[in-house]
Formats: sequence, C-alpha cells, structure tokens
Amino acid sequence: MTAGGASLASSLAAFAPVVLQSDGGGSGGAGPTLLPETIANLLGLQGVLGDVVGGLIGAFIIANLMLATTAVAGPWAKRKITAAFTDRIAVNRIGPFGLLIIAADAVRLLSKELVVPEGVDRPAWDIAPLILPFSALLGFAVIPFGSGLQLADPETGLVFVFAVSSIASLGLIMMGYASNNKYSLLGGLRAVASNIAYEIPLVVTAASVVLFTGTLQMSGIVEAQTAPLVTIAGVSIPSWFAFVNPFAFVLFILANVAEVGRNPFDIPEAPTEIVAGYQTEYSSVYFVLVYLGEFIHIFLGGAIAATLFLGGPAGPILPGFVWIYLKMWAFFLFTQWARSAVPRLRIDQFLDVGWKGMLVLSFANLVLTAIIVGVLAQ
Amino acid sequence: MSLEEPEPDVPVVDESLAVEQSPDELAELLGDLAIDREEHLNAPGFVVRPDEVQDALFRLRDEAGFDHCACVTAQEYENRYESIYHLRKFDDPTQEVSVVVPAAKDEPVSRTAEPVFRTADWHEREAYDLVGIDYEGHPDLRRILLPETWQGHPLSLDYDQERPQIVTLREHANPLQADQRDEADADTMYLNIGPHHPATHGVLHVKTVLDGEQVVDVESDIGYLHRCEEQMAQQGTYRYQIMPYPDRWDYASSGLLNEWAYARAAETLADIEVPDYAQIIRTMGAELCRIASHMLAVGTFALDVYGDFTAIFMYAMRDREKVQNILEDLTGQRMMFNYFRLGGVVWDLPEPREEFFEKVRDFVDDLPEALQEYHDLISSNEILQVRTIDTGVLPPEVAKSYGATGPVVRGSGVDYDLRRDDPYGYYSELDWNVAVEDGCDNYSRLLVRLREVEESAKIIEQCVDLLESWPEDDRTIQANVPRTLRPDDDTEVYRAVEAAKGELGIYIRADGTDKPARFKIRSPCFSNLQTLPEMSNGEYIPDMIAALGSLDIVLGEVDR
Repeated sequence: MTAGGASLASSLAAFAPVVLQSDGGGSGGAGPTLLPETIANLLGLQGVLGDVVGGLIGAFIIANLMLATTAVAGPWAKRKITAAFTDRIAVNRIGPFGLLIIAADAVRLLSKELVVPEGVDRPAWDIAPLILPFSALLGFAVIPFGSGLQLADPETGLVFVFAVSSIASLGLIMMGYASNNKYSLLGGLRAVASNIAYEIPLVVTAASVVLFTGTLQMSGIVEAQTAPLVTIAGVSIPSWFAFVNPFAFVLFILANVAEVGRNPFDIPEAPTEIVAGYQTEYSSVYFVLVYLGEFIHIFLGGAIAATLFLGGPAGPILPGFVWIYLKMWAFFLFTQWARSAVPRLRIDQFLDVGWKGMLVLSFANLVLTAIIVGVLAQ
Repeated sequence: MSLEEPEPDVPVVDESLAVEQSPDELAELLGDLAIDREEHLNAPGFVVRPDEVQDALFRLRDEAGFDHCACVTAQEYENRYESIYHLRKFDDPTQEVSVVVPAAKDEPVSRTAEPVFRTADWHEREAYDLVGIDYEGHPDLRRILLPETWQGHPLSLDYDQERPQIVTLREHANPLQADQRDEADADTMYLNIGPHHPATHGVLHVKTVLDGEQVVDVESDIGYLHRCEEQMAQQGTYRYQIMPYPDRWDYASSGLLNEWAYARAAETLADIEVPDYAQIIRTMGAELCRIASHMLAVGTFALDVYGDFTAIFMYAMRDREKVQNILEDLTGQRMMFNYFRLGGVVWDLPEPREEFFEKVRDFVDDLPEALQEYHDLISSNEILQVRTIDTGVLPPEVAKSYGATGPVVRGSGVDYDLRRDDPYGYYSELDWNVAVEDGCDNYSRLLVRLREVEESAKIIEQCVDLLESWPEDDRTIQANVPRTLRPDDDTEVYRAVEAAKGELGIYIRADGTDKPARFKIRSPCFSNLQTLPEMSNGEYIPDMIAALGSLDIVLGEVDR
C-alpha cells in the first residue's frame, strides 16, 4: 500500500466513530440554528406562534429564492448557455445582457391563452402541474444552504428529500393520463418507467454515503465531510464524498440526470418523437408551472448532489450559501452541456442502462462501501 | 427487423444481364407481347397490351436485367390513355427502355405493375389520382396527392379547372375522430404522426399503428404540399417560363440540381449543345448545392436523433450558410436561383473573378476540418452509433424494387450514381469517387452523405482550377438557342440527373407548340419515402423517426 493510500485509510478511519454512534441519532441541537427559529427570535415571538410565523416566513424566503433562481435559469441562463455551445448569441435585446427578457417572458407566458383541450380529466389535469413544482420545493425544506439557511433538519432528512421529490412521478403520470392525448400518455408512461428504473440506483448510491455518515440527517451528512481527507503542502482537501468515493459520485450524477429527465435521458419528453410527451397539452400558466417544476427539480438534484458529495455549503472564503448555490448551478450547467452534446438514447436502451447497468453498479458500490466501512470500523 | 442480417449484395443477377441489348434484341425478347414500337429520344419504347403489362415487365426485369423502374408516366391523348414505365438498369442506367401501355378512352383500365416493381404502387396511385387511369389488381388504388373527396382528375383533358370543388364536411374523414379499436385489436394503438410534428420535416402525415413503443405499421399520407407543379410547367414555355419552378421542388438548397434536371431533359428534347465553360459552371454550382443540401440533411438527422437544437444542427447550418453565400455571389439568389438557362447559364461568374475563386477555395480548404468536427461529434459518437447502426435496415434488393436512389440506395450498398453512370455536365472529365456504404442502416446513409460532401468538395476544387485557367475569349456561357422552342410533335424524352436526394427525372412530351404537352417529374424523395414501412415496421418509434430523418425527404419534392 502506498503512503497516499495509507493516509486515505487513516482518514477514512475517522468515520468509524460516526458509524458506531449511529443509533444515537444526530444530536439536533448541535447543528446551527434553523431559519424559522432565527426569524422567530428576530421577531421576538415564542412558542407555537413563533414556530408558525417563523416557519411560514422561512418557507416563503426559501421558495422565492428557488423560484427566482429558476426564473433566471429558464428564460435567460439556459438560452445563453445553449447559445454558447452552439455558436450563437441568444437573447441580448432587452436590458443588460438581455436579462430583462425574464420579465418580458414571464408576461408573455402568463398572458397566453390557457387552452383546455376537449375531454381532459379535469381535476387531475389541473392539479398535476401544481404537484410538479411543489414536490421539488418541498425537497428544499431540508437542504442545508449554510449561513443558517435551513428550514428543517429532521433525522430522516435524506429519506424525506427523496420521498417528496419522487411525488413528481405522480404528477407526470397524472399529466400523461389526464391530457387525453396519445403522445402525453406515451410520455407519462415513459416518465414512470424511467423514474422507477433510475430512482433505485439513485437511492442505493445515496445509501452508500449514509454508510459513511451513519446518519440520514442532512446537517450530519454535511458535518461528516468537514474532516480533512489529505493535506498536501498545507492545503487541506476536505473529505467530500466525491473525493472519498468518486465512483459513487459519478453514478449518483448520472442517475440524477435521468431522474430529472435531462439529455441524454430526456426520453419522457423527446420532442422529436413524442412532442414533449406529458406536457404536450399544457399552455400558458400550466406550461409555466410544468417548466418551473422541471427546473426546480434540476436545482434540487444539484442541491442533493452537493449535500451528499460536495460538502454542502462548505468552501473557502465565500459564505456557505454562495458555495452551495454555485454547486447547484454547476449541476445545471452540466445538464445543459449534456443537452447540447449528447444524443438521446432509445427507450429500451435507456431502460437497459438503468436496470442492467446502473442498478448492478450501484449495488456493487453499496456492498463494497459496506465492506470497507465495516473493515475500518474494526 | 433490425436483427435480420442484410441480404448479400446483388449476385442474384447473372452476368449476362449486364450485357447491353440492342433495341432489336429487346423486341425479340418481348416477341408477341410488343404490339408496336415507338422511339423515345432516350430509349426504345414498346407498346404492350394493358392486360400483358406484368408479363412484359417480368420478362424485361428477369431476362434482360432492367431492374429499376425509374418512373411511371400517365397521360391522356385525344384517342387514348397511356401509361409509360421507364425502365433502366441499376448496373448501367444508360440502358433504358420504355414500356408503353395504352388504355381505352372510354374505360381506361390497365393492369398494375406493382407485383413486378414495388415502386409502381405509389406511382400508379399518382397516375390514377391525376390522370384517371384505373390500375386493375392494384393493392390499394386510392388518391395519393389530392384529398380523398376530390372530384375529377386534374391532368385529364376534359378536366374543368373552373369548377369549384364543393365537398360537404360530412364526406371528409376527420383525422381527429375518436380512435375506437375493437376488442380483437385491443393491443395496438393508432397514432397520427404529423402533418405537424417536429420530425416530419414539413407536412408529412404518418399514420402509425403502435404496439406499446413498437411500430406495427406505418403509412405515409402525402399531398399536403401539392402545388400542381407538373401542370404549371405544362402551361409555361420551354425557353424561360419553366426554369423557375424546379427551384421550388426540393427547396432545401438543391435549386441548381433541380434546374439541371429540367435543363437536361429540355436540351435533349431540343437538341441543344451546352458549351464546356457553362458545363463547368453548372457542375460547380450543382455540387455547391449538394453540399448545402447534405449539410441540412446531416444537421436535421442529428436533430432527430439528439432531440434538441444541438450544437451539430447549428454547426451544419453555419457551414451551409457559407455555401449559400457563395451561391448568392454566383446566382444573385440564396435559394430560388433561377440561374440555369437552356444551353447554359444566365450570367458569367461574378467580377472580380479572383475574389470569387478565393472565396470558394477558402470554403473548400476549410471543409476537411469542418467534416472532421462532424465525424467527432456525430459519426464517432458511441451513443449515436448505438442508435443508428442496424436500425432502419433497407436491404439492397428491397431498395431497388422500391426505386430508391441517391444516398438511400448507396447506403444499401448499391453503386448507382447518375453523375458517373449516365454522365452529363463535366463530371466525366473530373476525378472523384462515388460514396457507397453497405451497412444498409441509418448510420450508412449518414456516412454516405458525409462522404459525398468530401467528394463534392473535390469536384468544386477541380472546377475552380478549370475556370481560372479557361481562356478569356472562350468563355461562352450560353449556346445559341432560338427565342421560341418548338420541338417536333410527339417527341418524347425522359432524362434524369443525380440530385441531392437521388435520381430526379423529367419526362416531356412535345406536341409541336412552345409548351410541353406532358411534363412529368420523377421525384427521388417520392420513391425514397415509399421505403419507410420496410425500414420501420417492428422497430421502436425513435428508430422510425431516425429512419425518416435518414431518408432526407423534402415534402416540396414529394408532393410537387
């Protein structure tokens, strides 16, 4: 074993105590104060009233933050990024760098006619576009943004985030079924098939991280990544799980891309085949909601990846919030890069990759991690 | 389907069939079947009784090797109807023969040729639709270009153009009507792909029957872009009025190639000799158009497979833009060139010539690098290979039977290119190769197009060298052609060129006036599109879309 390997092993051993104390649960009080609490304290409110008001205002802040991020990402950043990849200029007429296109587009999209096709399954058709952004926004409740920006920190944080984000599948199949359109139906079915196929590798890979941390609590996962992994010439590299287990990181990012339905795994939408699938029949406000939902899901995917593998809000100099924000944008950039460069797979090939490739690899990763962690714990 | 091994190439045909037969030998072969003989400018024509068409065609196909039914022309005379089957050989397209089948004026019935050549299916439907000949035994004789409810046959002599087409709504089939499948057929789903769909490249309606994600059956419904091009050409004078129309057939930048098809047919008809200098300009312009057209084909094919407006599409449009700038310098137009004239081209190269040559050379010199980029991005991309190799398989014998030409048939390993095999223009003097791939799949068709761009660049380079060194006093851009052309009565000709999509042929019958009596367009896209069910039945929807993209159809040319 090389010297580097030895130091790696020794730093891995640092996790062993964490693993052992797992049944004690992460001590809730040890983490930083949560956002609702801070707000309640600022307002001088206490008890139930403080919890409710603080919680509502905190949720309002975080949700609007994410909606604003999506507003920048959707009508502006996505166009600019794609344009950069394809030798174009993209929006540049309204405002500095064309930024005011965001306002113009918002007005344009919201003022369009809401076309309700004949024969749609009414309550389901209307509810589905609401479910999509809500499931993603709910996920942000437990994401530790650093700088004291975290709404809740339950012990089951990781399970919660996966659970709520997969509510989106329900929305997708509702959209597909209720639209009374065959393309939508195909798209909805494809969405469910892909979510099932890729959610398992996604969660199993995340479980391999939990083996290290010994806790499902998001703040605990972030904290476990603060210890230095190796120190080279005075620069200490933190033990982010992307460095500890890069293989799991790659698996997780791939499954994540599939989960949020981006190229090369955008099979459920596939504009050239099934004409945007489940969203074919949605226009105006509903279209905006669907679109918002998709983008918030990308950012949520980025936030989960950042929390699990990239140390969450950790980073030098800049405040934690900026760091996790940058990491989320990096994931967004990655999805747009893939969109411009990678061909889409065929539905059967896509499912093959999921069931025969990712699933096997993610379980292999889990077993190997379990063995390594187990050996180190001895 | 994709699992089947492509059938081995050609050898079924024995060597003797490649031997050229004289018209007399053919007459002997047909024996009693030929009741009369005609002379068309391009080939001998044998008149065959309408109930013996299949016998004659079988004999010509199996015993003389005429395996390519290029075109079926139908027309009405004062005293009879007539269908002409233009046959040639894939091995040697200079060997041609026409089978002329008259039908009675009062009851135009003729036997179908569909069992001999699958391509006759659509061609005869078109003949029925526009002229009104009834093909007995045809598997599915419906209108193809016009709506089901159309009254009358527009190219027949007694057709009244003034008569309004009043059809009650009730008689129109409603494409959106509820799709109620009976119990026995509960496993499949009917899906309309098009006429407005991102992957149909225009207004094509593909009626698809799906079993889950797999295609059970597809049927193309065409005619949405039918603009009566043949009739318009029949109303124009040979000399000037017809030339603008070809630009509008395959409008996706193949204008000059299309113009050449008309120019070649009309020049043969009126016996016009085109000066060498003009031929070189034509050759160069045509190849520039071919590059532009293939760039668009590759870009949109990538779009179909990749899914979004990806880098490849934009790069392809960027390179096509360069070609279009050169063509604009040359012709004054970007798409609708109207640059060819009977006997030459309308004007000489733009001044200063050096600048123009430099521009073309710059483009040609940059092309290898650009092509390398395409190969890096597309053809060597593993996911694209997984998607396209062994999908949309079109075996060579099937391709031939459907009369597929151009990159489609060359992607199936059939070495057929009219520029080399039936030389025209200046091609025979230049050094270039025909791109052939024998994979028979979507990937091969893509490769053929990319390689053809390379070969076109070679041709352009040589043309520029020739034009630059051409003596100044010998720059004749047009032959001496009379202002009004009146080819002799009852002269008939079928002539084709290798357009971007394949064999683009024109049949003209002159009646002694300055306008053609019959002007028939043999569109390569029309025949190529017919192969879609062969390529996609049993495949997944995305592969059907990819196959459609690899056919590179332009609906303006399919529907004319």
